[in-house]
This record gives sequence, structure tokens and C-alpha cells, in this order.
Amino acid sequence: MDDSLIALIVLSLFLGCGCWLVFLWAVQKGEFSDIERPKHRMLDDDEEPGQRDKSIPD
Amino acid sequence: MRAGVNPVIRPMHATAPPSPLTLSLTARETEKDSCFHCGVEIPAGVLIQESGSAGTLSFCCRGCQGAYMLICEAGLADFYRRRNWSEPGVPADAFQGSYHDGYLSRFIYPCNETSAIDIIIDGIHCASCVWLNEKILGRLDGVQDVRVNYATGRARVVFDPHAVSPAVIFSRIAEIGYGPRPYTRSAAREGARLEQRDLLYRFGTAIFLTMQLMAYSFALYAGYFQGIDSRIKGYLQIFSLLVTTPVVFYSGWPFLTGAWRGIVNRTPNMELLIAIGALSSYSYSAYATLAGGEVYFETAAMIVTLILAGRLLENSARRKAAGGVERLLGLCAGQAHRFRGDALETVDPAELRAGELILVGPGERFPVDGRIIEGSTDVDESPATGEALPVFKNTGDRVIAGSSNLTGAVRVFCIREAAESFIARVARLVEEAQSRRAPIQGLADRVSAYFVPAVLFLAMVTFCWQNLAGAPFGDSLMSALAVVVIACPCALGLATPTAILAGTGAAALGGVIFKGGDILERLSRVNLAVFDKTGTLTCGSPELIDIRPAPGTDPRELLSMAASVESGSRHPIGTAIREHAAANGIPCTTGSELKVVAGGGVTGKVAGELVAVGSGRFLAGLGVSALSGDIEAASGAMVVCVARAGRYCGAIIMKDRVREDAPELISYFTRAGIGTLLLSGDRQESTGEAAAGLGIGAGIGELLPEEKASRIDALRLEGATVLMVGDGINDAPALSAADVGCAVAGGTDIAIETSDLVLVKPNLERLAFAHLMARRTMSVVRQNLAWAFLYNVIGIPLAMTGRLTPIYAAAAMALSSLCVVGNSLRLLGGRRG
Repeated sequence: MDDSLIALIVLSLFLGCGCWLVFLWAVQKGEFSDIERPKHRMLDDDEEPGQRDKSIPD
Repeated sequence: MRAGVNPVIRPMHATAPPSPLTLSLTARETEKDSCFHCGVEIPAGVLIQESGSAGTLSFCCRGCQGAYMLICEAGLADFYRRRNWSEPGVPADAFQGSYHDGYLSRFIYPCNETSAIDIIIDGIHCASCVWLNEKILGRLDGVQDVRVNYATGRARVVFDPHAVSPAVIFSRIAEIGYGPRPYTRSAAREGARLEQRDLLYRFGTAIFLTMQLMAYSFALYAGYFQGIDSRIKGYLQIFSLLVTTPVVFYSGWPFLTGAWRGIVNRTPNMELLIAIGALSSYSYSAYATLAGGEVYFETAAMIVTLILAGRLLENSARRKAAGGVERLLGLCAGQAHRFRGDALETVDPAELRAGELILVGPGERFPVDGRIIEGSTDVDESPATGEALPVFKNTGDRVIAGSSNLTGAVRVFCIREAAESFIARVARLVEEAQSRRAPIQGLADRVSAYFVPAVLFLAMVTFCWQNLAGAPFGDSLMSALAVVVIACPCALGLATPTAILAGTGAAALGGVIFKGGDILERLSRVNLAVFDKTGTLTCGSPELIDIRPAPGTDPRELLSMAASVESGSRHPIGTAIREHAAANGIPCTTGSELKVVAGGGVTGKVAGELVAVGSGRFLAGLGVSALSGDIEAASGAMVVCVARAGRYCGAIIMKDRVREDAPELISYFTRAGIGTLLLSGDRQESTGEAAAGLGIGAGIGELLPEEKASRIDALRLEGATVLMVGDGINDAPALSAADVGCAVAGGTDIAIETSDLVLVKPNLERLAFAHLMARRTMSVVRQNLAWAFLYNVIGIPLAMTGRLTPIYAAAAMALSSLCVVGNSLRLLGGRRG
């Protein structure tokens, strides 16, 4: 039983470290540089593919 | 409504035939007299109407109609439903011009085999602005990706340089009424960004590892009471050591280096206290792990994690407040038109040198400080001075960089290069002030200056005493370390930061941002509040207070005439007259042949007769007869004269209005036992009158900005702790001279920059709330420190005599930390003012 306990502890440590690495990667990618816009982005309607209007005069 | 919601649009589609609008608009009922696109009142005789499926819409100009059609054709008519009218939009004087690829190409940088450019977009103030810009740019051929950062208003556009040029992108943004400017990275800003990222790394690491550690610690605590297999205990302790080491030595590295600086400079500081607390419990526990015993790794990890959290929040609050520096410098960025011989060339303002000549057209901002050598114009200097009324500038007058040219094209002689301009110097001062690290815990620093040496001394005494009394070396060392651990636990280290964290957090919820913990402390000690008058206690925009018709003229007729002539004017005086007429139900027609004379007044024809409205000097210049001598009005008032057909008809008296919340603020300070004083550049009698009217202790008038600052210096020498409340850059010396400077924002970013605390809305009640919050926070800090002290008084003797068994130490540590954190959190729960 002790061995499985220790295995679980080690496993939890690795899981935690995995989350930590994801966090470091996210900071590196600049995921936290704009914390205002994403909450509004989800309210935008998705554009239908092909709706891209090419006829707008430039 | 200053400038109001009024995007500047170039009339792109002025000649385009109206196309049938297939999109159904859930448009609000368009008011008859305001533009559907920009919301500005439609001037007389220029109503443009467009019929579509949404009904008949009215526009103020072809440009707005064009912009409306452009937006609808692109299938983005939803914008009109989404936009938020409650916030001001692009100022009417937004930078607007032509964009040249040659000039813009230097800002392009390569990005994944294509090109990218960073653009600052003026006028982004709500989520739908971001949405519109992203969509409309995303539909340009060749543009691959657009991301607009809502917080900074900055866009990164990734595009194919063969398919689209930056000038096309820029003019597209300008077409929909926003002001694009190229963004250049500066080393200082880049450094601040990296620092924030570094802090985020350290904090993230600390919090993940501390969470792991807490699981082990709970198991160990449970094991202490219920019994635990010694092998498991050993493993758990080793794992704890494993996860705590990076928290202390990586996440806590800034504290360790800070503590080392404190030792080298012989100034024991807050960081030394944190470092000793973390290191002592860490090394004690590490020793116990190897030698057997109980461990307290979580103490070390928790101190580091919580204090890093405080740093991170403080940093982001300061960054939020510092965003204005960029906008401030942005006022003079963009492009300038320089004379080369007789030809004009477009250059970066940074390339302008003193002695060169530039042309500044109406609607542009002056890129450098200069002197007008040809032409005359009205200038909006509100960014620099906070003065809402446009100032008339003639040949020979000085102009300030960043102010905007409203009416005429002028030739300007550059006095200084852009890097030395008034605004650049102010921005530099502000950046310097921000880069010095805010001494967040002044009180704790003072405490630790005595406390740290005392604790170290006691630990030494314990060690020697136990050793001499015959205890083994190891036990004596353990006792000595126990003294350090007990004496420097979380409680003292957390007392100030957690209270400040909670206090600033609660203040931010209530609309007040403190630029550092030290400001809370200083604000709580303030015993004299000094106010500026114009724009601070008053609104800064005039209100009609009296009508003095000449004999034989009906006052209503006088007002009606004035309002008719002012019907096209956006000058604050004209607006006030119109509003007053409308409020009293006085009918006014729309005058014809309206002419605005810069710096003077307005003329126009009403019912076939020429009517002139303006200053006495202006009317005299028009040859008006029978100008009354009694138009010298009461103190602090402005006189607007009206003449019809060359004959004087009477005067309208305007006066700056006192803010509604000003009396409440003054009475709050009086109740709190804080003296009040009014310093103003206005005449002595009107200053004294305003002071008496508001219940302010005294009023001193006729002061120059430097004199205000020296008055405050003198007051501080007499022992007063001064809070200065002002507005605009002309109060900047006084704001910085005071212990705490607070700018009441009237829409000027520069004012906010010089301020120690920022009021999110220009609302004086928030200042009272800020002061209340500061006092409450400091009283919580004192309670925390008292608790930590009490805890030490009991704990240290026990530890010195070696009687502090591990479980009591653990319980005491947890209890004291909980008390301190819980006490601090009370600040968040309080009723928000």
C-alpha cells in the first residue's frame, strides 16, 4: 500500500509540473497580455465561411 | 459634451449613388436634428437624408453618409446597434491626413515569412470599436490576421506586402473614423513588459509549487496527530523540500537580492525581513528533514507567494495608470509637414530640428513646440492646460506640442526638437517617477530596521546561553533557529502587504487607483487639503447666469437672437447659450450667413438683420455703436455682448459652475479634521468668494503655477502634510510639490500622469472615498502589526527556553497568518463609498 501511495504522490507531482509547464508556455505566448478582449470576443458572431466580401471598394 | 461623439470622416463616397440596403437595420429612431452616424447636431442647411429599408436616416455631412454606406456595404451595419454612446468617441480634432508608403514602410517588420505592422488606433473605447476595426481590416485583400488589443488600443496587422500596402491599411482605418498612427517600440516600454512577464513567471511558479506543497503539509500535519509511517513521512518531507527549493530560490530571488542590498547598505528593509523569514524556516525545515523532526516548508513558500501576488497586482495597477504616458506621447507622434524650400515633405516629427519651418493644417496636432510665423488660428490646448475653451493664436504666439489646431492653417517655426518638447519632457518626468520602485511598505521598513537586528541578537543570545548551559550543539542551533522562525513569521511580513493589497483592491472597485502602497500611507496622514479652483471645484465649462438687455430690448428676444447666431457653433459658450434658450422654451431660428471669427465671436443674419455675438472688443471692432460701459461683470464671470444691425442690444453673463459634489467633499474633509485651502490663478476677490461659498478655510488668488508650488512647499515646511487637488498640466508643479497629488481628470491624460492617485471617473466624491479607504487601510496595518508584536512577545521567550514544541509552533504560525490575512480582508468587505 505504501508503494502505491508513493507512486500516487509522485504522479501528482508530475501532474502539477505539467500544469506549470503549460502556464510557462502560455506566458511565453503572451496569452496574458490582453485580458480584456477575450471576454468580449466570445460575444462576436462567427462569420460564415465564404461571406468574405470582395466587392468593397478600397 | 466636449467635442462629443464625432468621428472625422473623409468624404469617400460623396458621389456614390445610394445603393439599396439589403441589410435590415434595427436602428433606433433617428432624431431629426442629429446625425445617424456621428450623433452630432446637423448644422442648418446641410441635412442629407438617405432612404433604405431601415427608414429615412439623417446625416450631418456627405462624409458620415459615406461612412455609413461603407459600413453597411461591408455587412457590418450591426455596429450601429452595438456601439456604446455613453463614452466619448474620437475627438473632432483627431489627426487626419494622407498616408505614404515610403514613410510607413520603416515600421514594418517581418513575421512568419510575411510582414506585420503595429498600429495605434485612436478612438478605441468600446468592444465594438475593436470588433469593427478587426472585421473591416480583416476583409482587405492581403491582410492575413488582425488582432486589436482592447486594453492598449493597439493593433497588430499581419499582411502580405505584395497584395496590400500599409497606406491602404491606414487609410481604411481613417475612413471608418478612427485615427491610425504607427507604433514604435521604445526600450523603456519593452523593459517594463519584460519585467511584468518575469514577475508573472515567478509568481506562477510559486503558486503551482505551493499548491503541491500544501498537500504534503496537510498529510504531515494529519500524520503528527494520527501517527504516520516514518518512511512515508521521510518521503513527504523530501518532496516538500524538493518543491520549496525553487519557490524560495527562484520565485523569491528578488527578495533575496533586495535583502542583500539592504545588508550591504546597512539599511535593514522589508525585503530583509521576508528573506530572513523565508530562509530561516526553509533552512530549519531542511535541517529537520535530514536530522529528523517537524518541518515548516509551507511558511517559507507562503510568504514568498503572497508577497509576489501583491507585487504583481501593484505592478499591473501602476501599468494601468501608466498607459496614459503612451497616449500622451502619442499626441505628437504621427507625421509632420516640413518646408524644404517652397516644397512640403512628410517627415517623422522626431526628425524635426529647432529652426525648421512646418505647416500645420486645421485638424492636425502641433508636433513640436513652436511659434506661429504666418497665419492665425484657434488652438485647443486642453491636453496641456486643461483649459476647455479654445485659445486664439496669432502670428508671433507660442504653440505647445500636442495641442490641436482647430480653424486655420499656420506656418510654425520649431523652437525645440520633438524630444525636447513640453509634452516629451513631462512624459519623461512621469516615467522617471514611475520607474523608481514605490516604497510600498514604508511603515514595515521602519519597523524592520529595529526588529531585524533585535531578533538576530536574541537568536545569538539563545544559542550561546543554551550551549553554555550544556545543551548539545545541534539542539542549541535548533533553538536559535526556532527564535528566528517564530519572530519572523508570516504575520509581520504579511501585515502591511496584505492590508495594502486589500485596501487598493477595494479602492479600485470603488473607482480609485492608487499608484503605490506608499500613497495610501501618505494620504492617511494628510492634514491639509489644497484645491485648485477652475476645472477642479468648478466644471470648467460656462453656464449662463444673467441676461442684461440694453434699454428697450426684451431679454427673451436677446437670447433668441444670440442662440440663432450661435446655432452652428460648437464653442462651449455657444452651446451654453443654446442650451439655456432650449431649456426656457425660447424659440430660435437658424441664422444664415453664419461666420465664426477666431478668438472673437460669431456673426450671422437673423430675420434679414446682421447680428453679432462676441466679446466687447470684437463688437467694437465691427463698429457697433452705444456699447455699454457697465459690461464689466461680477468677478469670475465672462461677458458676451450682442449687437443687432450695428447697435448694442445687451450682454449675456456666463459663469463657471461649481461642481455638484464639491460642497460634499469640503464638508467631508472638515468633518475629518482636515484643513482646506483654495489656491487659484483667478482674481483674489473671486477666489475668496468661491472659498467662502464652499466653506473652504481660506482662498488665495492671483497665483502663478510656480507660486502655487512654493506656497505648498512653505506649508510643508510648517509641518503640514498636504494633499493637492488640481487639474491640467498648469497644476503639475503644485501636484508634485505636495505629499499627495490628485488630479481630477477632466479628460486630460497628462493630468492623470502627474497624479499619485487616479480617479476613474471625474467625481469628487471618490476622493473622499479614497481618503476613507487610506485611513481604514492604515488602521488595519497597525492592528496587524500589533498582533504580530503580541505574538512575538509570547512566542520568543518560549522559543528561547526551548519549550516551543513543534506542534505549538505550527499552530501559532497558522493562527497568526490567518488572523493577519483575515483582518486585511475585512477591507474588501466594507461598504463601498
